[in-house]
Amino acid sequence: MQELTNNALMLKVKSGDLDKLGLLYERHKKRLFGFFYNMNSDAALSEDLVQNVFMRILKYKHTYTGEGSFTAWMFRTARNVNYDYYRKNKSEKNISEVSEVAYKLEDSATIEQEIQDKQNIRVLNRAMQLLAPEKREVLVLSKLKEMQFSEVAQILGCTEGAAKVKAYRALKELRSIYLQLERR
Amino acid sequence: MKQENFEIWMIDYLSDELEGKDILNFEKHLEENKDHRKQFEALKETWSQLNDLTIPEASTTMDEKFYVMLHDKMEAQNHKKESGFAWLKSVAESFKKPQLAFAMLILGVGIGTGYLLNGDSKNDSTGGTVNAVVDSDTETEEVRGQLVLTLLEQSSANKRLQGVNEAAKLNDANERVIKALFATLNNDPNVNVRLVAVESLAKYVDTPEVRMGLVKSIEFQNSPLVQIALADLMVALQEKTSIESMKQLLEQPDIDNTVKQKLEESINHII
Repeated sequence: MQELTNNALMLKVKSGDLDKLGLLYERHKKRLFGFFYNMNSDAALSEDLVQNVFMRILKYKHTYTGEGSFTAWMFRTARNVNYDYYRKNKSEKNISEVSEVAYKLEDSATIEQEIQDKQNIRVLNRAMQLLAPEKREVLVLSKLKEMQFSEVAQILGCTEGAAKVKAYRALKELRSIYLQLERR
Repeated sequence: MKQENFEIWMIDYLSDELEGKDILNFEKHLEENKDHRKQFEALKETWSQLNDLTIPEASTTMDEKFYVMLHDKMEAQNHKKESGFAWLKSVAESFKKPQLAFAMLILGVGIGTGYLLNGDSKNDSTGGTVNAVVDSDTETEEVRGQLVLTLLEQSSANKRLQGVNEAAKLNDANERVIKALFATLNNDPNVNVRLVAVESLAKYVDTPEVRMGLVKSIEFQNSPLVQIALADLMVALQEKTSIESMKQLLEQPDIDNTVKQKLEESINHII
């Protein structure tokens, strides 16, 4: 099935055909929600931030040139929305939450494998939240479905090689935090 | 090999950006280099664990907020356009000199000719975009349907009214939209919203279910205005099955006199 590309749709939005934004929303809402949720672990907040992305897309539609990938442009907007939110609210989660995880881990020391797996995911989730936002971001973007590293690089404003190195180092640090949490 | 190059290579491998021979080369490198293999084994696990991070489904509130926002922006844009047209009209009225009209005519003919000539050369390449436009229209209809559903659920009568109006713009409403329109027609507390719902549903009377739903709805209505609108529609459709519903409505003790008269006339017209 042939569909209008994201770029073509966004150019239509730019020229005043606003209801085409609905199509872009339907195509990308899940990925954007996933991006924000992985960044902040807060579903209600993530929903608001998705909304803010589309409001900003409308506000700045005149700046869209149609060059490069729409997805990269949209995620750059999403990054800015995320930064602006945390700059205003200064509520980035802090390291003190490590003790809470450690307590939960002690509780689950003797339970079954299935529960242990779930716990591992929780620990990984916590480790993600303890990772510096810019490192968490590169991992979240790298793991987004259908996102190539060339696009990740466009979003981050660096070369593809640099994006991969950032991903590697973020992954290494994530593992280190994860193991620290697991040992407690 | 420089560490940085290995880092890039490993991420290429983990994110499935390597193909065929390159995959084998990477795996061979790991067999030959113990230190890199150790690094790889450690990070591979964490990389694949990232796939297990669960993301909940976004709630329907997200869609609602988006579509209400989009609708408001579209409305605001339409108002701007309308005021723009008013300005154009006033400008046009001030240009009533025949010389200027003639100059505009010449300019218009020139632009039109240029467009047609240019259009011919583009005809060959437009075939491929026709399907894309058709598919995009289908997608637009789906989005508009979603907009209708969202607006019909709003607490503001004005928004619900806009929702019913949007429904009238659909080329072909789906089952969910039709159901939502009937729920509005039969339950909405606002008479104006119900009246517009009659008009929107009238667009789909070719569907037997819609006709039947409209007939049934006659009994549910307590507003004389909606009762009259439905009776008029039944006459226009010459819907014989509606006679029974109208007769039942006539038996209600508190029926409005004007409605009573209207229903009797409508029944006679249909018979």
